[in-house]
Amino acid sequence: MLPSSLDEAVAALAAMPSAVPVAGGTDLMAAVNSGLLRPAALVGLGRISEIRGWQYADGAALLGAGLTHARMGRPDFAALIPALAAAARSAGPPQIRNAGTLGGNIASAAPTGDALPVLAALEAGVILAGPDGDRELPISHLLTGMDPMRPGELLAFVRIPLLHAPQTFLKSTGRTGPGRAVASVALVVDPARRQVRCSVGAVAPVPLRPLEAEQWVAGLIDWDGERTLADEACTAFGEYVAAACIPDQPGVELPPAAVQLRRTVAALSRRALGRALA
Amino acid sequence: MSIIDGTGAGPETLAGSGAPHGLGTSVPSTEALAKTQGTYPYAADLWAEGLLWAAVLRSPHPHARITRIDTTEAAAMPGVRAVVTHEDVPGDAMHGRRVADRPVFAGDLVRHHGEPIAAVAADHPDTARLAAAAILVEYEVLEPVTDPEKAFAAEPLHPDGNLIRHIPLRFGDPDAVGEVVVEGLYRVGRQDPAPIGAEAGLAVPRPDGGVELYVASTDPHADRDLAAACFGLESDRVKVVVTGVPGAMGDREDSGIQLPLGLLALRTGCPVKFVATREESFLGHAHRHPTLLRYRHHADAEGRLVKVEAQILLDAGAYADSSSDALAAAVAFAAGPYVVPHVFVEGWAVRTNNPPSGHVRGEGALQVCTAYEGQMDKLAAKLGLEPAEVRMRNVLATGDMLPTGQTVTCPAPVGELLKAVRDADLPPLPDGEDESQWLLPGGLSGAGEPGAVRRGVGYALGMVHVLGAEGTDEVSTATVRVHDGRATVICAAVETGQGFTTLARQIVQDVLGVDEVRVLPSDTDQPPAGPAARGRHTWVSGGAVERAAKMVRTQLLQPLAAKFGMSVELLTIADGKITSYDGVLSTTVAETLDGKELWATAQCRPHPTDRLDENGQGDAFVGLTFCAVRAVVDVDIELGSVRVVELAVAQDVGRILNPRQLAARIEAGVTQGVGMALMEDLRAPRGVVKRPSLTGYPMPTALDAPDVRIVKLVEERDVVAPFGAKAVSAVPVVTSPAAVAAAVRAATGRPVTRLPIRPQAAVVKPRT
Ligand SMILES: Cc1cc2nc3c(=O)[nH]c(=O)nc-3n(C[C@H](O)[C@H](O)[C@H](O)COP(=O)(O)OP(=O)(O)OC[C@H]3O[C@@H](n4cnc5c(N)ncnc54)[C@H](O)[C@@H]3O)c2cc1C
Repeated sequence: MLPSSLDEAVAALAAMPSAVPVAGGTDLMAAVNSGLLRPAALVGLGRISEIRGWQYADGAALLGAGLTHARMGRPDFAALIPALAAAARSAGPPQIRNAGTLGGNIASAAPTGDALPVLAALEAGVILAGPDGDRELPISHLLTGMDPMRPGELLAFVRIPLLHAPQTFLKSTGRTGPGRAVASVALVVDPARRQVRCSVGAVAPVPLRPLEAEQWVAGLIDWDGERTLADEACTAFGEYVAAACIPDQPGVELPPAAVQLRRTVAALSRRALGRALA
Repeated sequence: MSIIDGTGAGPETLAGSGAPHGLGTSVPSTEALAKTQGTYPYAADLWAEGLLWAAVLRSPHPHARITRIDTTEAAAMPGVRAVVTHEDVPGDAMHGRRVADRPVFAGDLVRHHGEPIAAVAADHPDTARLAAAAILVEYEVLEPVTDPEKAFAAEPLHPDGNLIRHIPLRFGDPDAVGEVVVEGLYRVGRQDPAPIGAEAGLAVPRPDGGVELYVASTDPHADRDLAAACFGLESDRVKVVVTGVPGAMGDREDSGIQLPLGLLALRTGCPVKFVATREESFLGHAHRHPTLLRYRHHADAEGRLVKVEAQILLDAGAYADSSSDALAAAVAFAAGPYVVPHVFVEGWAVRTNNPPSGHVRGEGALQVCTAYEGQMDKLAAKLGLEPAEVRMRNVLATGDMLPTGQTVTCPAPVGELLKAVRDADLPPLPDGEDESQWLLPGGLSGAGEPGAVRRGVGYALGMVHVLGAEGTDEVSTATVRVHDGRATVICAAVETGQGFTTLARQIVQDVLGVDEVRVLPSDTDQPPAGPAARGRHTWVSGGAVERAAKMVRTQLLQPLAAKFGMSVELLTIADGKITSYDGVLSTTVAETLDGKELWATAQCRPHPTDRLDENGQGDAFVGLTFCAVRAVVDVDIELGSVRVVELAVAQDVGRILNPRQLAARIEAGVTQGVGMALMEDLRAPRGVVKRPSLTGYPMPTALDAPDVRIVKLVEERDVVAPFGAKAVSAVPVVTSPAAVAAAVRAATGRPVTRLPIRPQAAVVKPRT
């Protein structure tokens, strides 16, 4: 089935509840091909033009769930939401970025989904279209399973507050070519709310927000002044974030892999903050 | 029955003068065009009328006793035509490349994760898979032996015991000591050959009760003999037809595929096709031996090696396969291409419940190269010498003796190779102006930070042997036919992508002066040519083609020469024309043939070799080849991510037969080596393979592959080799990982003792 509007797609899903939506198919078709999934029918979302672009509403951008990584990586989008553009540019090889979508990345909710920490740091909202109309919820509620997608619902849009504020996304893969994140860090410096928001991807099933570290570092920044920090403060922030995300286990020594992961998160957080403040 | 197969589509010749032809020119690869256009037929593309589909049931456990196999439910499923288990193997129950120690199907005991237990033929691939899943197998799960060090004392996993081979090597004086001693422990992981096309095949029953196997075999005659023995048939009733080979780094088409296929075709009387999933491919075929190496090097105060002591432990997995060969190479080359007066090595290949190990390019030699080059770096550091200098003081040369007691008689320009890479210009540092243009470790969109990046330069020298070692009968046979001014080559040497068909054309073009040369596809109706491995076909099959072509040449020219009262040597053939040295005689090949066909068949069999004796001594190798690599890496010392900037290669090639193909082989080998150095390791904790997929098993992409700079090709002909040429593919694979490790060592000051290099091994901890 290839509906050409969201309403048609929602109706198609309602008419055939066992059908599965497919956008770029980069996650879904891999599961089908390896025999993990045998959907009764597919509802293709590729023809729904209303979710392939973005629009503006009340100081926010409404991103269509069908935006591809390739599209989000382009300069015009990067000027709008730089961290999300950076995440999109790093999401797999070009073939995957041409097909894979924002909505698919969120719905798949893989720990290594590159868009996810960015959306968490930006405190994005997701708009779901369902048989009973639309509803909006914070991305964190969706990802943590607090308020999961209901049967028959589709991810339609992602609302992102437009901040005139520095934001960064850094991903470590351990290799030079494309690869899944070993750890990633998205960081936003938000002068309007005098906040630093940081989210760490790939180290846990969902992106982690080290809230205490965020508050601590926000308290060090002179929001009315230069908004710079000493190197030592950035380093301390990195370690704070890393310790929060990969906590010590009482009585046992961290295994070497965890030590390395912590070191990686610390370096990424420090670099992310340094670059955001530079 | 009609078979639309890929094998009949013979290579189109690229005729016409002006196009490169003959040896020493970059004749384009025979199949390049078809491969690029996607029309080159592989085994997975085969089709036969009325074919059935096969599926194989594999063990989920690495070690288990099978208490019951019940196939009734599976056999009763609609569409299922046959189910076979160990009880249905009519011939030999056990098979193997060197030692027959592997069952076609596990009967009472499973020895590795993914071992075949049963196979199904059905009218649809999904039916076959579902039926395979419906076979009831009851297991009594046993504790797997996964630590090779524990295999010695563990309960035998096999009636043959857990020790597959032990080679002690004793050379010189065990009590010799040097003024400087360095020790090291090294580990090399499990590299998968990961051919781009997974295993596939078609078996077609014959009216005479035999069977034909259409598979991407790299050693069709050995595969035929193995299959015939298991099917309980005379070998002339089994025919292996080689289809397009989609990548081969070692043995292809693990027997767990062709044997069930043949059994099912014989059982059902129908053609049966099988296409492995990538997961099955990872589970079934042989991997590079994971290896543990302990070394102690003694040197004098000037850095000259005095003694090398080593213990080498290869994890063979559940079956012997070619582990014995890998061990021989590891032990013989344990000290590398260096002169060492005293060498003492203990080498073992042991059986475990880990995934099977076998022949993957440069087996044995790669692992020891990593270790002895790690030791050379340690020695340099301890003596305060440059790493290249310490190596230079010890290089091997023609006339020196290997620790096996064999004198090196072939060219061994090791010092010249090292000098070439040492003196080559270094790649420039990234231009500091625009940091965004740097390709940093971690990639284009990665987190790399210029301030945390350190550059390192490292060296490695590697060696491999050419042709099978230790008494293997390395023979090949080829036939050349000339008719209508065209030539045809018939030889069972498999074109694996290594370029054999192109080389055969070049040889015949040279000898017979005809441009149009066709190389027929290989099958077992042709005389055997042996495996496509260890650079054999350039030597033995190329040699056989040359001889056959020369015999045809004599047949062609003899009557002419006799008529004009001159010797054959005074006539030359070029561009289809025959001329005499003085220009008096001039005619064409076609005219001389006068409608006749000329045929000749010849063999090439190099001189015999010895098996290593109880002291690891013997003339075990026909030929040797050497390589020097200089690696330049950038390391993000906080994240431990490594980018290989450039690998400079100098190689001992004997003679360049096809410059473009040669460069491609080196680039491919280096890239495979970079994979081993940085990312490739098939993990199997407790014997269970983790993430057997191309996402879970990372390999170098274009961004991971470094610039490969061939700085020198030494053309010193090996007089015993046909054309004087040496094998070129394996030695860059062997040498590059050690060079990358050396460069990471130089960049970080860390010891780097394990391949692949994990990020934590390349991190420089801040001084606190
Ligand atoms: C080789 C390779 C490399 C990759 N590398 C990366 C990487 O580096 N980083 C990364 O983040 N990801 C990576 N991915 C994963 C994948 O490409 C992304 O997650 C991508 O964003 C998925 O989008 P899609 O449109 O292809 O989703 P699909 O495969 O079409 O769908 C995925 C899931 O989402 C559901 N879905 C899709 N759209 C909607 C919607 N609008 N509403 C409700 N449900 C929906 C589908 O039903 C399905 O369950 C990689 C994948 C591959 C194959």
